[in-house]
Amino acid sequence: MRRIVLFAALLVGLLAAAAGTASILAGQKAPPITQVGVQVLGPQRLGPLPPVVHPPGNPPSSAKIQLGKELYFDPRLSADGTISCATCHDPALGWSDKGPTSEGIHGQFGGRRAPPVSNAAYSPLQFWDGRSPSLEDQAKGPIQNPIEMGNTHEAMIQTVSAIGAYQSEFKAVFGTGPITVDQVADAIAAFERTVVTTDSRFDRYARGDHNALTKLEKEGLEIFNGKAHCTGCHWGPYFSDGRFHNLGLPPKDPKNPDVGRYAVTKDHRDMGAFKTPTVRDAARRPPYLHDGSEKTLESLIDFYDKGGGKGPNLDPLMVPLGLARHEKAALVAFIKSLDSLNPEVADVKAPALRDLPH
Amino acid sequence: MKRTLTALFTGAFALLVLSQAALAIPAFARKYGANCSQCHVAFPKLNDWGQRFRDNGYQVPGQQGSEKTAFETAIPVAFRTNAGYSLYGTGGQTASGFHIYGLDLLSAGVLHKNISYLFVYTPRIDEPAADYNGPAAGDNPAQLAAIESAAVVFSNIIRDKLNIRIGRFEPGFQLLSSKRLYYILQPYEIYGFAGTHSSFDFSASQIGIEATGRFKPGLKYALGYINGTGANPDNNRWNDVYLALSKTFGRGEGQSAGQRIGVFGYLGWQPTTFVDPIVSPGGDINGKDNRNFYRIGGDISLNWHTFNLQGMGFYAVDDRDFNDLDPALDYKFWGGVVQLDWAGLPNNRLVGSLMFNWVRPPGYDDVHKVDAYSALVRYYLGSWSAVNIAIHAEFTHRVAGTIGPVREDLVTILLDFDF
Ligand code: HEC
Ligand code: HEC
Repeated sequence: MRRIVLFAALLVGLLAAAAGTASILAGQKAPPITQVGVQVLGPQRLGPLPPVVHPPGNPPSSAKIQLGKELYFDPRLSADGTISCATCHDPALGWSDKGPTSEGIHGQFGGRRAPPVSNAAYSPLQFWDGRSPSLEDQAKGPIQNPIEMGNTHEAMIQTVSAIGAYQSEFKAVFGTGPITVDQVADAIAAFERTVVTTDSRFDRYARGDHNALTKLEKEGLEIFNGKAHCTGCHWGPYFSDGRFHNLGLPPKDPKNPDVGRYAVTKDHRDMGAFKTPTVRDAARRPPYLHDGSEKTLESLIDFYDKGGGKGPNLDPLMVPLGLARHEKAALVAFIKSLDSLNPEVADVKAPALRDLPH
Repeated sequence: MKRTLTALFTGAFALLVLSQAALAIPAFARKYGANCSQCHVAFPKLNDWGQRFRDNGYQVPGQQGSEKTAFETAIPVAFRTNAGYSLYGTGGQTASGFHIYGLDLLSAGVLHKNISYLFVYTPRIDEPAADYNGPAAGDNPAQLAAIESAAVVFSNIIRDKLNIRIGRFEPGFQLLSSKRLYYILQPYEIYGFAGTHSSFDFSASQIGIEATGRFKPGLKYALGYINGTGANPDNNRWNDVYLALSKTFGRGEGQSAGQRIGVFGYLGWQPTTFVDPIVSPGGDINGKDNRNFYRIGGDISLNWHTFNLQGMGFYAVDDRDFNDLDPALDYKFWGGVVQLDWAGLPNNRLVGSLMFNWVRPPGYDDVHKVDAYSALVRYYLGSWSAVNIAIHAEFTHRVAGTIGPVREDLVTILLDFDF
């Protein structure tokens, strides 16, 4: 019996010591993850998004955000004046497009679906394969992508510089000197960081309003975070781990498959792996996945229920879920509760060309 | 005895106070902010995801290296206890009462990339109490104090093909886990059964070393080298060995999806005489006249929707020196279990199960034959990540022995708390 008492005392002591260590270490920053640079797997509750972090090199101002917004909606950034960022990232289509993949300049189609610009501010890496480290860097890409806006940076700068109203706006934001691509990108990125969800019915629930979700939606949340393992990858306030997973989608062109993250890392484990997109606002932007192959949330959930697709590099987190019909309906209902109620996300009207700077 | 309990409760209370934020959350669920059904079909039975997590050394598969360690999170402590009411009947007589059936203190987590631990302590529960003067007079505790598990796992030594577990752990041949069984009162009978004179317990967690791993497609192995004496110090120079192989067809791990079959074999030695003056500081003795025994069997797990049909059986031979009934013969027996589980309601809030256990001793043994029919219903009050409470009702009808068989009925309704 004395041994038990001793053991209990020891156990308590040990754990107390551990508690001490834990609280000391809590202040320490966790080591960065190789390649990805997102948070370590720790407490990763679903919840409201924290305030956006603006990079020190690109502090926001209302003039900059306004300029960025105009540039974002301005088709004159493209080679033939027909395509703006909003063509493929349309606020009315959940900041994406009708898909399955995007139609760019001269009716050309790319191989991938346009991910949402809304809440992209929280994504540690941009693009399906994470090849771009920031929104600033990302924004320069589409302009000179031959199948997106088909322009050159020089030609785009010429066009923008020739518009009187832009000249004065750039001067007000960035000071005198010629307009640069970096400035264009900075302004667009600053605008994109305002397209964030601070309010949704889920967020209201997470902040304590118990009536913000229906019974079915609450069940959906429970399943999302339980039996369906969705939070295995779609975790934290951004509903994404920022990592890359292979869900086993069949390649559209087997001879020339989309290698995904592998193109960036050349690591065979990343073959066919794509970035986990946020589930926020997903209901507003069908179809789904990097190739737009799932037309509805219902079919997407059936896909997960089967354990995803096939392939040698299928993520080990993909397992059949055994969801009942009611559970699938609950998941869909829950995903819909993630639709943003912020006017700057949910209710943005693309300005007409004549309302843009001239 | 009261002092022990006071000490334990003080300890437990201190833990709760110390762990504050950690309070009332099973360690892993808390770490990932998920609810129990992320890893369990329904607590405590693992689903495929949970099985992969366990196989990967308590790290999210494919994400090792990015886990918060046990030092970076609130202390990973969890408790499990169950208390309730039992009604027992045999031969027209009945007895009933409230009981505490068990209490586990668990701690588990990642220490460093691919190094993790699991620690489970069960305090002694004296029920009936030690100062009780009835039939058992406290000699028959509801639970023995033991370090159920204390193992360190080194994972992914050669990718997922080699993981090593050292310490006291649940051996890999227990694919039908006696620890993560829904039934709280009815065990897998055959696991605990051995020759009349043998102290070997197939269901015990064992001290030693085990290698596990998996190969495509769906082939897994576990190879162990252990004392074979459960929580007790070793009692001979010989160690026991086992090998278990399983193969899953289709997706999943055979826990909640996919179909799995497995085979296992266990070869052990036990001393039959213990006269040796040498006792090591660890309590090991060098028992003499070692005789061997073996178990060989298989298991199967079939899944359809949320139905899971499991079966397991083995054939056992214990050396004649363990046979008190007929010392001229090896003690040979076999037995097994068939279990059908079902989960329903959103997030598997409701679980039902039917189970049949049987033990078939040699014909001349007329007391150890067992047929046990069990049924169970569990309803989970919530799926929070902080705490889980299940209302649990379990029934067993058990018939033991052949000549004048003992028939027993046990109905138990209890609350299973996990926090
Ligand atoms: C022709 C359609 C099209 C146009 C025009 C377009 N994009 Fe995209 N956008 C895409 C596609 C397709 C992707 C995904 C490409 C990939 O991952 O390889 C993408 C990716 C992005 C991403 C990454 C989001 C994430 O979560 O990874 C951002 C941000 C973005 N675009 C912003 C813009 C901006 C700003 C503009 C205007 C300068 C723009 N896009 C113009 C189609 C387009
Ligand atoms: C193994 C990690 C993982 C798990 C588990 C997971 N997802 Fe995903 N999810 C992803 C990845 C990666 C993508 C993008 C894959 C691609 O396009 O190739 C994605 C895409 C999505 C999309 C499409 C978003 C868009 O903009 O196209 C939705 C919606 C979604 N998941 C919801 C869920 C739900 C609901 C669950 C649970 C049933 C779930 N996910 C489980 C990783 C995961």
